[in-house]
This record gives sequence, structure tokens and C-alpha cells, in this order.
Amino acid sequence: MAHLGSGALILALILAIYGIGASLLGARRRIPELLLSGYRATYAVAFLVAVALIALVVSFLRHDFRLAYVAGRSSRDMPLHYVIAAFYGGQEGSLLYWTLVASGLGALALYLHRRSDRALLPYMNATLLSVLTFLLLVLTVVSSPFRLLPVTPPDGAGLNPLLRDPGMMAHPPFLLSGYASFTVPFAFGMAALITGRLGSDWLRAIRRWTLLAWALLGLGLLIGAWWAYHVLGWGGYWGWDPVENLALLPWLTSTAFLHSVIVQERRGMLKVWNLALLLATFALSIFGTFIVRSGMLSSVHAFAVSRIGHWFLTFLALVLIVGIGLLVYRLPGLQSERQIESVTSREAGFLFNNLLFTAMAFAVFWGTTFPLFSELFWETRISVGPPFYNRVVGPLLLVLLLLMAIGPLLAWRRTDVRLLLRNVRWPATAGIGVGLVGLVLFSRPWAAIAYAVTVFAVGVTLQEFWRGTLARRRNARENVLVAAWELLRRNNRRYGGYLVHLAMLLMAVGIIASNAFQLERQFVLRPGEQGTIGPYTVVYRGLEDRRTADAEIVAAQVDIYRGQRYAGTVESFRFFYRNYEDQPTARMGITLVGMDDVYVVLDRWEDDGTASLRVYVNPLVIWIWIGGVVFVLGTVTLFWPQPVPALARVPQSVAGATSEA
Amino acid sequence: MSSAVVTRTSARGLRVDVRLFGIAVVIAAAVGYLMYTGLQGTAASYFVTVSELQAKAASVDGRRVRVGGDVVAGSIVRGGPGEPIRFRISDGTNELEVVYAGVLPDIFAEGRHVIVEGLYRTGQPIQADSVLTQCPSRFESVPTTATS
Repeated sequence: MAHLGSGALILALILAIYGIGASLLGARRRIPELLLSGYRATYAVAFLVAVALIALVVSFLRHDFRLAYVAGRSSRDMPLHYVIAAFYGGQEGSLLYWTLVASGLGALALYLHRRSDRALLPYMNATLLSVLTFLLLVLTVVSSPFRLLPVTPPDGAGLNPLLRDPGMMAHPPFLLSGYASFTVPFAFGMAALITGRLGSDWLRAIRRWTLLAWALLGLGLLIGAWWAYHVLGWGGYWGWDPVENLALLPWLTSTAFLHSVIVQERRGMLKVWNLALLLATFALSIFGTFIVRSGMLSSVHAFAVSRIGHWFLTFLALVLIVGIGLLVYRLPGLQSERQIESVTSREAGFLFNNLLFTAMAFAVFWGTTFPLFSELFWETRISVGPPFYNRVVGPLLLVLLLLMAIGPLLAWRRTDVRLLLRNVRWPATAGIGVGLVGLVLFSRPWAAIAYAVTVFAVGVTLQEFWRGTLARRRNARENVLVAAWELLRRNNRRYGGYLVHLAMLLMAVGIIASNAFQLERQFVLRPGEQGTIGPYTVVYRGLEDRRTADAEIVAAQVDIYRGQRYAGTVESFRFFYRNYEDQPTARMGITLVGMDDVYVVLDRWEDDGTASLRVYVNPLVIWIWIGGVVFVLGTVTLFWPQPVPALARVPQSVAGATSEA
Repeated sequence: MSSAVVTRTSARGLRVDVRLFGIAVVIAAAVGYLMYTGLQGTAASYFVTVSELQAKAASVDGRRVRVGGDVVAGSIVRGGPGEPIRFRISDGTNELEVVYAGVLPDIFAEGRHVIVEGLYRTGQPIQADSVLTQCPSRFESVPTTATS
């Protein structure tokens, strides 16, 4: 299996290099056979990478501990699903997975666009294969998952305990495939720049691919937050850890891109900006993949420091030099077709949205890399913690929410301000009402303001849905439910986008509450004793020892009462995995009471059963996960095939605009 | 479209551009301000080794520091449940006393490389509010050939 795997990778590398040559030469000399052979090379690369990955998974299933990678990450007593998941539990395997996603989606894109975007394809293919060549080079030369051990151990070390969690089954695959999928839009963008075909064809080609990458990355981030919340035991879901931040960066820039690309489609503006965002998104994906493995930043995700850091840095520099170079070279062809006519226009709204997103990305990037830069310039490493990010990103998010509320009501070109005011009448009243009540009730004024803005935005978004539905019901004579369904189905880009907005607002509700009103207490209790936190009473019942195939477990049982009423029992665990006995891994006991999460961490204990428990009450965190579900629904809506694309795409404002131009 | 209309549009366009630019500058300035003040307060901390900390004790006194070092073997005093844990970290030449009251990270142990963060006062142990463990084999453990 090891030979099959490494052989497949070497063959893939050779084919990838051949494919670049074939595509470039074929495009230059106009030889269709050569072009076709270049595309086939990509299909073959994707196939071979898949073969290598299957070989790796089979090695894991057969417990083939001759392979260093298998022996380092799995053991015989691990449950089957973790044995399979272990293949992306380390650097080599996760890079292989990255490569598979990039090559698989790239091949799929070549196939799907084989008729529609002929002129772009050769260069798209060459860019794609260049990226793959780099990855395959790393996988074969520096960091091969198929490296053999000199001596075969009888059993493997097992997967690190922190990774033995259901979160492991979902977070890395989504996050990595999100990163990797940005290769496809990047390749199309490069192709557009190289060919100089900067019209609307390449935009149409990449919107869905960007959307896919963006959705996967977003979902990966969400699942990561969920995982951190359930495993890491500090009562939160987002710690502004460098690695999380770096994964957030391409998501922020691609969110900006997905908004500003609408302006280019409709009004032919912001062309340079969009390409720059696309380039930045891909560069940040590479940066995120690489910095994790370079040991340059300290993080909870301390991966092994390895030599591949330099490779990634070189590749990143190449991507940036070529990308920015091409962008500058094509600047004359990227003139805006129109000017923004009014500050209260939808295009201006999108522009501000982009400014806010990039500002946020910049602040996060700056904070994350600050230790590196401060060391470079002032010879001291200064690192910034969560307070920095909360302080900078918090206000920006608030303004962004406000913009999210007003944006959908802005018209292209120019908005009638009186009409706008009439439209926001009810949502604004609701928002101000909530804000005033909040100012009276809450101890924190910022939470009241944040809720006021959130309610305002929710109000406007729901009002938009309601109006659209009413209009359909009137015009198409459908009942309300059918009208709402058809609205989503036929205008999926618009209303799917609003669904995603709603998802963000739901999350905002949870994020604001859990930041402003979290309670935390440490208790030292003997079995039978109790303590109170907020309206809750926790009764500690005692410790229990258990055993599974691969671990010894200490479980603390805690009864939760709200007032006098029994609300549930939670168990908080410490797992002692074989081979990792010095790393007792916590599993939190979390129970939902009403809208509050009661979150119990077992900290330390004595032989007589006395335990130190840390208890958090996290209000409304459940809203974040509900928002996550709505996010998925919204994204699915965005992908829904358009039944009548021609009709939906001729809005009146554009018809008016084209006559002027 | 007549040329008169076009000129009017572009004159207004210029005014709009100036306004948009103004708003962009305001946003950039606000972000800059937020980032600058963010670095001034307690959000930023000096990243030093134990020796560096003792060398510059005067200049970082009363500031937040982030110190990396290995947990000295035999220095961990866990105390009973609820009491803060005490330990020393070392960079090979100098040692520093740490007091920490929070939940220890999962992989905290003697000899592990940790990064503690908290307020520094000369001559006192660091009252850490965060302890970050890091070990090179975190996600890449070496197989032990002798296990059976």
C-alpha cells in the first residue's frame, strides 16, 4: 500500500508538470489535441491523488504500522471511526486531503465549464496544476505520508486525545476543504488576468465556486467553535487563537468578495478590487495552511514545527508576485464602466460593506501577526489577546450589522431617502424600543445598543421576506406558504442571501448574550454539597471511575436545579487515554436549561471525592448553533438551480442604467 | 444622452467620490484608532523569556507579560481543590515563580513548555490568568516502540 501510495503521488507530480506545459503550449500554438491532453492530465492527477488517499486510509484500516504516519496517529484499540479520521490528524495526511479537494474540484470545474468557458480553461488548468505541482512536490519530497519506519512497532501511539471527539469527524475536513476550494476561483481569476478576458464570463464561472469554498470554510469555522466549546473547557467558543484567526481571514475576504461581485455583475464597477480580494483570499488560505505548520505563532493548535514552512512561504511569495504583477499589468483593462452616483446607493452600500470586512480582516491579521512584526521592528515580541480583538472587531461588527439592516433597502444608483425612512419605520421603532428596555434592564449599555441594532436588522430582513411574499401572493395568486417557497426558489440569490443574514443575526444574539452575561464560579465541593451560581444550584453527587477500550475515565455527577426545580443531571469527565496518561482530557458536562447553557468543568479532585468544579452559565449560546443551521439552509438556497434564469436576471434598474452607458 | 447631462453626472460623480472617500477615511481612521488604543491597554503583553524578563524588570513592571519557559521538575505545588497552583518555569538559566488559579490545560506537566500570561510586579510571582501549554509532539506523537 505504501508503494502504491507514494508511486501514485510521484506519477501525479509528473503528470501535473506535463499538464502545465501541455496547456500553455496548446493555448499558445492553438493545438486542441494538446489542450485536451492537458485537461486529461488534470483528471488523471485527481484520480491518482484519490488512489494515494485511499491507499493511506486502507493502511490505517489494516493497522499497517510500518508507516510512520499510521503508527504515529492510530492504535489497535481505537474505535473504527477515529482510525479512519486519523488520516487527516497530522500534517502529511491533511496536506494530502487538501490536494485531493483542490484537484478533485479543479477537475470537476474543468469538466463542467468545458463548453462554456473555453478561452479561460487552458490557463485555469495551468494555474490549477501549478498549485497542485507545489503540493505534490511537498508531499513527495519533504513530507510524505508514506514514509516507512526502520522498525515496525507492534502497536501505534494512538490519536492525540484532544482529537478523539466527534468534532474531529467534521471540523478538519470542512475547514481544509474550504481552504482548498479557493484554488478553483483563484485559477479562474488568474486565467481571466492572463487572457485579458476580464468581462463577465469569468465572474459567472467563479461565483458558485467561491460560494462553495466560502460555505465550506464557514461551516468548518462553526464546527470548530462548537468543538472548542465542548472540549476545551474555558466556557467559550471562540478564543481569538492565531490559528482560528487565520482561518477566519479568507472567510472575511471572500464574504467581502461575494458582496462586491454583485456590483461588478450589475454595474461593471470594482473590477480591480474584486480580483484583489480573490487573490488575497487564496493567499490567506495558503498562509493559513502554512503558518499552522511553521511554529511561528504560538497557539493551542501547536502542530509540529517542520521544514515545510519555508516551502509554503516561497510558494506564497510566488503567488503574490505573479498575482499582483498580472493585476498591475491588466490595470488598463479593468477600468470601471460607471461611477457611483450617490452615497445612498446600493453600490455605495456594498463598498462600505467591503471596507468594513477588509478593515476587520486587516485588524485580525495585524493582531495575529503582531508578535512577528514587533519582534522585527522593536526587538520585543508583543502579543495581543482577546481584549484587543473584541475592542477592534466588536464596534466594526456593530456597524456591519447596521449596514446589513439598511443595505437591502438601498436602490441601485440612488435611493429616495424619504422612501428609505418610511421603509425602516417599524423595524427602527422595534430596535429603539428594545434598546431602551435594554438600557434600563441590562448592566451593560453596549449590550443594549447591540441588541437594538440586531433587532432592527432582523426587522428589516423579515419585512423584506414578508413584502416579497405578499407581492407574489398578489401577482401569482398563491397562498402565503407557496408564495414564500417560490420566493426562495426563484429569487434564490437574493432571499438565500437574506437567510444567511438572518443566520448571522441569530448568531449575533447568542454572541452578544454570552459575552455580556456569562457567569463563572469555581466551587470546591464534597459529595452531597451544593453551590449556587446565578439562579442555579449545583449539587455535586460524587465521582465515578469507568473504563473503555482505550481510556480510563473519571466522571463527576452534578445535579442542576433552577430555584427549587430539578433541571437535569450532567456528567463532567476527565479521560486518561492509554499512551497519553499525563494528558487528562476534559469532556464538559453541558445541559440546556431554558435558554441557558449550564457548563460544568471537572478541574481537580482528591481521593476522598472532594472535587473542584468550575461552572459557567452561558446564556443563549444555543442561538449560535441555531444560526448555524439557518446558515446551512441559506447556503443551500443560494446553490439552488435557477428554474428561469433569464427572467430573474433582468431587473429594471439595470435596464435603465444600460441605456445611459 | 446629451453631453450636458453627461457633464452634470460627472461633476456630481466627483462630489460623490469625495464623499465616499471621506467616509472611507473615517472608517480607516476609526479602525486605526481602535487598533492603537487596543495596543495601549491591557490587551497587549510583552512576549519574553524568563531571562529577558529579569533583565528588563524595571521597564515591564506593572505591565502584562507573556513568558515562555519549561515547567521545572518537582516545582509543581497543586494544593487542594480550589487553591491556586504554584510552579516555576525556567529557560535553562533563570527561573520564575508562577501562581495560577484557573483550570489547567489538559497537557500541563513537568518539563512541558508553557506560556504564562499575567501582570508582572518585580520580585513577586506572576499572577497568571492564562497558561497555554505547548509541546512539540502535540499533534504529532512519536510512536513508542516498547508498548505492548
